[in-house]
Amino acid sequence: MATDITIADDMWDGDEQAVVTNWFAPDGAAVTKDMLLAEIMVAKIQYEVRAPADGTLTIVSKVDDIVSKGDVIGRIG
Amino acid sequence: MNDKVSATNERRLTIARAMAEAIAQEMRVDERVFVMGEDIGTLGGVFGNTRGLVEEFGKLRVRDTPISETGFIGAAVGAASDGMRPIVELMFVDFFGVCMDAIYNLMAKNTYFSGGSVKVPLVLMTSTGGGYSDAGQHSQCLYGTFAHLPGMKVVSPSNAYDAKGMMTAAIRDENPVIFMYHKGLQGMGWLGTEPGATVNVPEESYEVPFGKAAVVREGTDVTIVGLAMGVHNALKAADLLAKKGVSAEVVDLRTLVPLDRDTVFNSVKKTGRLIVVDEDYHSFGVSGEIIASVCERDVSVLKAAPRRVAYPDVPIPFSRPMEQFCLPNPDKIVAAFDTIAGA
Repeated sequence: MATDITIADDMWDGDEQAVVTNWFAPDGAAVTKDMLLAEIMVAKIQYEVRAPADGTLTIVSKVDDIVSKGDVIGRIG
Repeated sequence: MNDKVSATNERRLTIARAMAEAIAQEMRVDERVFVMGEDIGTLGGVFGNTRGLVEEFGKLRVRDTPISETGFIGAAVGAASDGMRPIVELMFVDFFGVCMDAIYNLMAKNTYFSGGSVKVPLVLMTSTGGGYSDAGQHSQCLYGTFAHLPGMKVVSPSNAYDAKGMMTAAIRDENPVIFMYHKGLQGMGWLGTEPGATVNVPEESYEVPFGKAAVVREGTDVTIVGLAMGVHNALKAADLLAKKGVSAEVVDLRTLVPLDRDTVFNSVKKTGRLIVVDEDYHSFGVSGEIIASVCERDVSVLKAAPRRVAYPDVPIPFSRPMEQFCLPNPDKIVAAFDTIAGA
């Protein structure tokens, strides 16, 4: 069963949109829980997104995509 | 480099994270290593290259300074001369003016003036480059300004693998090293995005030796030489040229001082054509030095006049269209090739 990589509601204050700035593992990579996976940026500040589970990464939101709180930016299957 | 690595279990880093990881690893094994600069502590560096350091090593070894480069870079030169191994950040290379006496009259010369009895193992890291509309005091490269002055090594990585290995080598070096990192390659988002700079980086410590250029793409019809952002422009130009049936070789200089003239010459000997890409100013700079290096050794290897794609000799404009008009880009490199293609 796949686990969604979701942008947490409390990652930053307010409801501004963010931009995906980096993926640290490629699509299809084997990842482990809590590993640093991505960075997203709001108002020049970057926030870390870590793996919620072990498994194989599927990237949904690419670098430079605009995303909001609650969005699923990837999946781990 | 990143496309050739197996997709599984690869760990990619941005240049910003690769620099911070190299610094942290050296700080763990050598208590003489410490960091000073503006906003390098709690903020983790305006360009992300000291993130996590103050949390691990504390404020004694990761020191936020006042906005006084004259003072803290002078202090770093003194500390290095007295047995410490400081890493000091000049946030934007554009502000070298207020600290240049410490850099080129003290840091670069003390070893010579003392007959070798004083070593100055200092790393001065500084951001370069534009492309994000920050105008003439926050966008310059000034590679040639520093590489021109004897007594210090000058390096500038194009990707995270090299950034980590070159930072490790810089910290371990017994001599002063100017570590110039291009803002647009840091992976910071608001400074532009260059995915090609974020590559697989081993967790263990390693050095990338200075004075060794890298042939990052092999070709037979033209040699395109660059460093930092110029390498990525050159690689994109090589893709465009390939569609026209032209095989371009791309050389990443990585180090300006010492300069790997052999790798450049051997490449041009093979291809017969030379284009140098440089985001620093056109005149009196790196691009002219590269061309002279080839011509002085054997001008007969050139089938056509060499070309440079560099920044025009004007202060960098704030206006986005004007700045983008001035910057080197892949299309300008292809246009430069077209002028020498028939030769």
